[in-house]
Amino acid sequence: MQKFNITRLLVMLFVLTLFAAGCAKKPVADDAAVTEQPTEVAVIEQQPAAVVEQQVDEAAAARRAAKAAASAAKRAANNLVRVYFDFDQYTLTASAKDQLMSNAMLLKSAPAVKIQIEGHCDERGSDEYNLALGEKRALATKNYLVSLGISANRMSVISYGEEVPLDSANTEAAWAKNRRAEFKAQR
Amino acid sequence: MNKIKFSLFFIVLCLLFSTPALAVKIEISAPGEQTIPLAITRLLPIEEPLQGLAEEFQQVLEADLDLSGLFAQVDPAAFLDDAAKLTLLSTMVDFAQWRMLGAEAVIKGGYRLQGEKLTIELRLYDVISRRLLTGRRYIGKMNDVRKIAHAFADQVLLGLTDELGPFSSRIAYISKRTGHKELYLMDVDGYKPQRLTDHRTIVLNPDFSPTRKEITFTSYKAGNPDLYRKEIYTGRESRLSLKQGLNIGGRYSPDGREVALTLSKDKNSELYLIGTDGTIHKRLTNHYGIDVDPSWSPEGTRIAFVSDRRGNPNVFIVDVHSLEVERLTFAGKYNATPAWSPKGKRIAFARLADRKFDIFSINADGSDERQLTFGAGSKEHPRWSPDGRFLVYSLDRDGEKSIWVMRADGTGARRISAAGAADSHPAWSGRW
Repeated sequence: MQKFNITRLLVMLFVLTLFAAGCAKKPVADDAAVTEQPTEVAVIEQQPAAVVEQQVDEAAAARRAAKAAASAAKRAANNLVRVYFDFDQYTLTASAKDQLMSNAMLLKSAPAVKIQIEGHCDERGSDEYNLALGEKRALATKNYLVSLGISANRMSVISYGEEVPLDSANTEAAWAKNRRAEFKAQR
Repeated sequence: MNKIKFSLFFIVLCLLFSTPALAVKIEISAPGEQTIPLAITRLLPIEEPLQGLAEEFQQVLEADLDLSGLFAQVDPAAFLDDAAKLTLLSTMVDFAQWRMLGAEAVIKGGYRLQGEKLTIELRLYDVISRRLLTGRRYIGKMNDVRKIAHAFADQVLLGLTDELGPFSSRIAYISKRTGHKELYLMDVDGYKPQRLTDHRTIVLNPDFSPTRKEITFTSYKAGNPDLYRKEIYTGRESRLSLKQGLNIGGRYSPDGREVALTLSKDKNSELYLIGTDGTIHKRLTNHYGIDVDPSWSPEGTRIAFVSDRRGNPNVFIVDVHSLEVERLTFAGKYNATPAWSPKGKRIAFARLADRKFDIFSINADGSDERQLTFGAGSKEHPRWSPDGRFLVYSLDRDGEKSIWVMRADGTGARRISAAGAADSHPAWSGRW
């Protein structure tokens, strides 16, 4: 009996605290505060004491292999070289085409690798226009790789416009570095 | 939450008298050409004086009215004894004194603090006709002083020009102060900067809904440049357009029911109209060139945009119904970011020349092009105030990016964003 009363008192105190917390906020917040609090308490009560549970499965080896393949893919993608563009242009220069030729070779030797081609611009020009221009650069790069025999569904494109410069200096040299297409490995 | 509370407290009570015929009235389209000699007296205590209140109020009101370019302020050092008298009725004002000082209008006011409740009484008198032009009583709290000053500045402009000022509105912008580009909101004088997003990627190019307290912007949060919408007060956020490729440059139509934007889902950037549920209503352009940066005419029938379909980037206008396209800009080699004035006549844009942008404006029919900014640094992203009197823009100078406001004719430029931070891409809200 005595114990029951103490429990009741504790419950009432808890409810009162909830009320106090609820009243301090705006009425709109009340529902959330009242409904969230009790579930939290329940979770704590249900937690097992000092028993550690771990998932055991037989796919670990497969996962390790996949991870190794992914890092191999990443390594392959890291060897892909950037290509550069002229101001306000998305047509590939002769040297860009040469570089894409060697990139295509790398991609052929690692047929499992999927890549994302990022199009970038220098900071001159309007940001919106540069987002569109960056996409055209990435697409021109992808299309050339396709023409060299790389499957289109191994490659996705994204434009970062002028948002991710390699060199944030305000010089011709920096701008030339920033007008580029880059290659990232994808899982 | 607190904000809503403020607004409840912050009620404009009454227009004490109806506005009589004005002795002074000027053309709003030509700020700076003709100025009204205005005396702004210091707020006086109705009961107990409070430290600093009158000064803060004065500073905000003066800055707003100075930006308007409509007034020549009468030197307070020359004020006579009427300036020190609390005269909330026109019959009590010694207009002869103000006339002698050359003032054509005079602002007088008083304040009272009762518990938490702050009351500020404000009067704008016409010195020539000796009448009240605008009378306002504001009731709020101590931290509403700036808000009240902005609201009264709006009313002063209404009283003298028949067009409300824009000083109570807000400016959204992009700042990199956390290291990532995020969306922020501030007052039109740069006060109270407040971060609205925590995407930790790249957030770009905000625009206000004209009908709701809502902002649209582009973010890379989900790995693609998607268009988002965010309710300012609830913080509720959702993706409005998530097509493969670009979902950028979202601009609400003047009725708030559609959004014009650039999509590149078909491997080339084109302008589209989408509904507020994200469904595509209409494709506006069809050209292999780049089409970006839409800006609505105030009637919602035409859209200015940037295209390189004739070689270099230039501003074009597309008719939303017929889809006919006409070219707007011919001079210069690189014209971008058009912004159509809410008054309809002029279109502001940025032109790249000698490695930097400057801001220009041109009539919507292509006539009367004018350069508005000069000097060092690149000025971009012009956007109009809701009354069409001012332009907000970003300046990139010496590696520092900041936000500035100027009059529509290019005069009165001033920095509003805080020192140090990399702030850009402002958008001016409608009436708040």
